Amino acid sequence: MRAYLALVWAVTRKDLLVEFRTYERLTAMGAFAVLVGVLFNFSIDTAVVRPQDIAAALIWMTIIFGGMLGMGRTFRLEEEDGALAGILQSPIPLHALYLGKVLGNFILLSAMATLVFFVFGLFFRLSFSGNPVVLVAIVGLGVLGFVSLTTLFSAMATRSSMGESLLPVLVFPLLVPVVVYGATATDRLFAGRPVVEVGGNLRMLAAFAIIFTVAGAGLFRFVIEE
Amino acid sequence: MNEKQIQWSVGVLGALGVATVILLHWMVFFWVPTEATMGVVQRIFYIHVPAWWIAFVGFGLVGLCSAVYLWLGDERLDRAAVAGAEAGMVFTTIGLLTGPLWGRVAWGTWWEWEPRLTSALILWFIYLGYFLVRRSTANPEQGKKFAAVIGIIGVLDIPLIHVSVTWLRSLHPQAVILSAENPMNLDGSMGATIGVGLLAFSLIFASLFLARYAVAGYERELDLRDARLVGAQAVEA
Repeated sequence: MRAYLALVWAVTRKDLLVEFRTYERLTAMGAFAVLVGVLFNFSIDTAVVRPQDIAAALIWMTIIFGGMLGMGRTFRLEEEDGALAGILQSPIPLHALYLGKVLGNFILLSAMATLVFFVFGLFFRLSFSGNPVVLVAIVGLGVLGFVSLTTLFSAMATRSSMGESLLPVLVFPLLVPVVVYGATATDRLFAGRPVVEVGGNLRMLAAFAIIFTVAGAGLFRFVIEE
Repeated sequence: MNEKQIQWSVGVLGALGVATVILLHWMVFFWVPTEATMGVVQRIFYIHVPAWWIAFVGFGLVGLCSAVYLWLGDERLDRAAVAGAEAGMVFTTIGLLTGPLWGRVAWGTWWEWEPRLTSALILWFIYLGYFLVRRSTANPEQGKKFAAVIGIIGVLDIPLIHVSVTWLRSLHPQAVILSAENPMNLDGSMGATIGVGLLAFSLIFASLFLARYAVAGYERELDLRDARLVGAQAVEA
């Protein structure tokens, strides 16, 4: 078990190391999040709509669209340099490779989601008086479900002739439960509703994350092998 | 089945299917009594409901064949999966077109974010991804594996999608035929019409399925022939 986790962590560590040398994906996702916040601000007529009322929806859409930007590049480096062949020849089990990639993406996207909450909180003057632990759990589980699917499909998209443009077509229909449960729970927490009201959302987000992380780990080898 | 038998079955099933569809339309328009509360518009139900049943059979077939294809790697299972997906997409489209026609009269709006309608639309898009991915790889074998993965993920996700959009809101008329509290409470002639609808669409589905299955076989033969040709040219060069 320890050895397996070490393998998973080796992949994650490599991805994070590459990322922190270049900041390519984090810069792209971070800039996207802030700029979308600015554009949303200009697109809302505050005389008609209160931005606070739709903030949760905007936050989740920004996380998902911005996330697509970063996640689509998960396997770009491996594909470009022919490094994939090397990884495939190494003795690492493919599900460990997948889980390592998922963990790396999870850390990057969680950082981006945190930024999104701060930026939107600032721009739309949101105040949060609820339980922060529950909010973190909702966002964390939603992000995990999201990356478990996008990591699997980005391997597919990178190796197809359509490239990254294929990713949203494949992933958006499948993400409906994450959006439904994630955004409504965030809405309720910001509106100061009691935590019991989001218990069901938490369970469904957890189920989604578990199902697709396990399925992704099992199916990954059919996507990555020649 | 060999090639001749498949061609023959496609023709027979197709002809029977078309005949039954004509019979179905005669029953829907002239034979079956008008439903008391909804009126004439309810007649679309005899086309809408069987179309959905068949669409779900198609989707189930895709999931099942995809999973076993990845497991055993048998070429024929992939052909069955793609045949099921294409035939299923035809009936999903019929269901998606007939639903709003009914909704315009019954709900007063063409589109409503109602759970079954929403799930159906999403199902249609999952099918779309399935076909896109098959065509977007240089190596057809890779495309088949990608498509099978989407088929499996789609089948796992559809119940979650349905639960989530149902939880969000619900307007669709409750299932009347397969409902647990009130099973088969349809009038006899209505039951017969829906049965004929199911038979008609099953026959058409079977015919389309077999035709597509055979075509997938020809496609594979062509691919192999191309590969051999390229190989021979390489040897000559």
